[in-house]
Amino acid sequence: MNFTLKIWRQKSAKAAGRFVFYQVSGVSADMSFLEMLDLLNEGLIAKGEEPVAFDHDCREGICGMCSLVINGQAHGPDKNTTTCQLYMRRFKNGDTIIVEPFRARAFPTLRDLTVDRSAFDRIMAAGGFISTNTGSAPEANSVPVSKPKADAAMDAAACIGCGACVAACPNAAAMLFVAAKVSHMALLPQGQPERERRVLAMRKAMDEEGFGNCSNEYECEAACPKGISVSNIARLNREYARAALFFPDHAESGKS
Amino acid sequence: MRCLVDLLESSIAKKISVALAGILLVGFLAVHLAGNLFLLAGPQAFNGYAEHLANNPLLPAAEILLAALFLWHIAAALVARAQNRKARPHGYQGQRAKGGRTWGSRSMTATALLLLAFLIVHLKSFRFAPDRSDLYALVMKDFQNKYYVGFYVLAMGALALHLSHGIQSAFQTFGVNHPRYTPWIKRASVAAAVLLAAGFAFLPVWALVTGGAR
Ligand code: HEM
Ligand code: FES
Repeated sequence: MNFTLKIWRQKSAKAAGRFVFYQVSGVSADMSFLEMLDLLNEGLIAKGEEPVAFDHDCREGICGMCSLVINGQAHGPDKNTTTCQLYMRRFKNGDTIIVEPFRARAFPTLRDLTVDRSAFDRIMAAGGFISTNTGSAPEANSVPVSKPKADAAMDAAACIGCGACVAACPNAAAMLFVAAKVSHMALLPQGQPERERRVLAMRKAMDEEGFGNCSNEYECEAACPKGISVSNIARLNREYARAALFFPDHAESGKS
Repeated sequence: MRCLVDLLESSIAKKISVALAGILLVGFLAVHLAGNLFLLAGPQAFNGYAEHLANNPLLPAAEILLAALFLWHIAAALVARAQNRKARPHGYQGQRAKGGRTWGSRSMTATALLLLAFLIVHLKSFRFAPDRSDLYALVMKDFQNKYYVGFYVLAMGALALHLSHGIQSAFQTFGVNHPRYTPWIKRASVAAAVLLAAGFAFLPVWALVTGGAR
């Protein structure tokens, strides 16, 4: 297969970027989108040109490193799919494909298609953890968890932190990510000691990073490669209201 | 004052306050529509109802509360929209939805601004009219003007869109989301929005077409 690619090129975080057209030929229908970009880059390197920088790691949909907005959609046109799991057979031979980085003030572009998603790490550092002794794993059944709660927590924990929710959100809001992390821990007994402090601190960190406000457009859920439901955002709203109204003194507790 | 600033500072608190004011405004609109329906019964019934309202000692307090709800809803929502624009300084070539957005949710800012324009015209022509002794005549005079009626109907179209997203969105904002009930909440939200807007839009159209009740 042959494609025309319209790719965002940007030398550095400070430099101005622009779109550049490339032709790739000899693409197999069974190549993933990233393998297609590898092919493009091999050609560019052979010609002595700078290859296109893009993020990737596991290439099997579990690490959350790959990104890209493909023809205006985060992780491309398929549902519940990361870019590394998107195959070229999904496109028509001869298509022009527009490839852009995730765009948000809180995700500055570093180079070409790579963006800095460390804002998510800082939100996690603010409260996305539980305090427990490591090293000696407790017996699995010593803390009972009901099946429905375990399932809901597991669904939320499927979040790989790729940032597609932010990229797809018309407001560049990070609510689905924060909701997944807050839900995952609020649902389990191990998450209870920091329950109030966590949601207050993560909300604050989220806003301070410069993400937008949620307006319930639900594009995040539609773009999420792990199909995380917006019902988690409803839970985040509940958890936040509960903590802000009844436990406001927890906001500062536990900070050194 | 301090706690109002705190509300604006937190994205989630701000959102909940906008939704709360919005839902209370929906309640106000339902009562307002019920009152407007007295127009159908003629001048005596309508003016009698208006007088009854005006004589209620709680009216000034209710009006202040209503004004506060509107002002808060509009101000906080527009602050949020302004922040959202800043949150993505560099847009996409052509962002394509993946199935989350609706007509209502896409057009929230546009319908909001149209409603704001309508609200200003509406208050000026009725609430702050120089002579309010015969409200029925005042209303009917404007409702015989086809441009006024056109603008009114357009604004009610905006209201239908605004609320088709707004009502169900408020439920989500309050944390009400359940696989069994949410699909019904969404349908009921669209139905309530269309009914409310159609109810309001019906009266000026009826007045224009029939000349009003004799
Ligand atoms: C008059 C001018 C109005 C303006 C400027 C306005 C503005 C807005 C905006 C910008 C939003 C989106 C907020 C967000 O980003 O989440 C919104 C939401 C909403 N509006 Fe309005 N609005 C107006 C009138 C009304 C009226 C008359 C009602 C009800 C009768 C109403 C009910 C709602 C509701 C229920 C929401 C949803 C809140 C949520 O998303 O949780 N609005 N409004
Ligand atoms: S590269 Fe790991 S999820 Fe795509």
